[in-house]
Amino acid sequence: MEEEAVKYVWEGAVPLQIHLHESEVTTSPPPPPSFVLAPRVGYLPLLVPLIKPHFHGMLPPGVDTVWFDYNGLPLKWNIPTGVLFDLLCVEPERPWNLTVHFRGYPGEILIPCESEDSVKWSFINSLKEAVYIINGNSKTVMNMSQADHLELWRSIMKGNMESYLHVSSKLKLRTVGEDLKARGTSSSQPRQSGETDVGVPSRTGRVPVRLYIRNIGEVHDGLEDARAIVSWDEISYINRPVEFYKEEGKPFTLRSAIKTLLPEFFDGNPY
Amino acid sequence: MAAESPTASRKVVVHLRATGDAPILKQAKFKIAGSDKFGKVFLRRQLHRDTLFVYVNSAFSPNPDELVIDLYNNFGFDGKLVINYACSMAWG
Repeated sequence: MEEEAVKYVWEGAVPLQIHLHESEVTTSPPPPPSFVLAPRVGYLPLLVPLIKPHFHGMLPPGVDTVWFDYNGLPLKWNIPTGVLFDLLCVEPERPWNLTVHFRGYPGEILIPCESEDSVKWSFINSLKEAVYIINGNSKTVMNMSQADHLELWRSIMKGNMESYLHVSSKLKLRTVGEDLKARGTSSSQPRQSGETDVGVPSRTGRVPVRLYIRNIGEVHDGLEDARAIVSWDEISYINRPVEFYKEEGKPFTLRSAIKTLLPEFFDGNPY
Repeated sequence: MAAESPTASRKVVVHLRATGDAPILKQAKFKIAGSDKFGKVFLRRQLHRDTLFVYVNSAFSPNPDELVIDLYNNFGFDGKLVINYACSMAWG
């Protein structure tokens, strides 16, 4: 079950239709949009090698600094593509229509992204932060071998779950006690041989959580009612760990976690 | 809810510590609103550097969007949040 859920997330992808921004169009007619299937567990700048050839030779002179926007909102490249989609895409828009820019990087809104290396370090730092919450320090990431470091990053770039699970099993990321897991896989269900993390002890029971909150106010006819976001100020950003507690016979759900993190949204709601 | 309410309205004491050849600031200790984003700790301008590497507890660089109060609640100790800064990458 757990492995299936992880696989589901890793295999998720967002269909994108990418248009060149009109200010950068030098040809008539303008170039047709580029279609890309973007992994949810991935970052927009990693798609540039796929998109750039499509617009090759059609750009104004200058140096390329690639960035994307959605309805005019510059997209933060350090947020995974799947999160950006869930947070911003106006329902039921498919494919998701993004605009690519090769000039005029909005440095006051976005963190500089000089190369794929910027994306790698952003990812590694988020990982170190999460590991710090789980283990009380970031040593397992900081002491990784060069080869493991490379394998970890390649697994993200290529969306390779097996490779990621192999290398991340060395980081002691397990926060859930083994007993909880054992209960999930009862005697009728033999343990799967693919589980490589058996034997890693539970440490603190803290799960690092990063929440992006978009308040859409009153919605009458479902999410289609919500208008597009125009500024990142409309989104709050919370980094708080969830203490994992176990109650006999009750699973600890995402809802329980959100309820702990955002009690104000659950006032008077018995569930 | 955590015992320590993570209310963003409170102030957080930040200690800045120079690492490597980074210049030492005259005022290394200050208070900042918990509701501020980490990116607001305007070091770059104070140190007149274009590139600066900033770490929490000599471990990781937070995202500029993270709230100071979250960093304090997660990684602060002895009533303060320790931020290390360096002019080149100090902790990989």
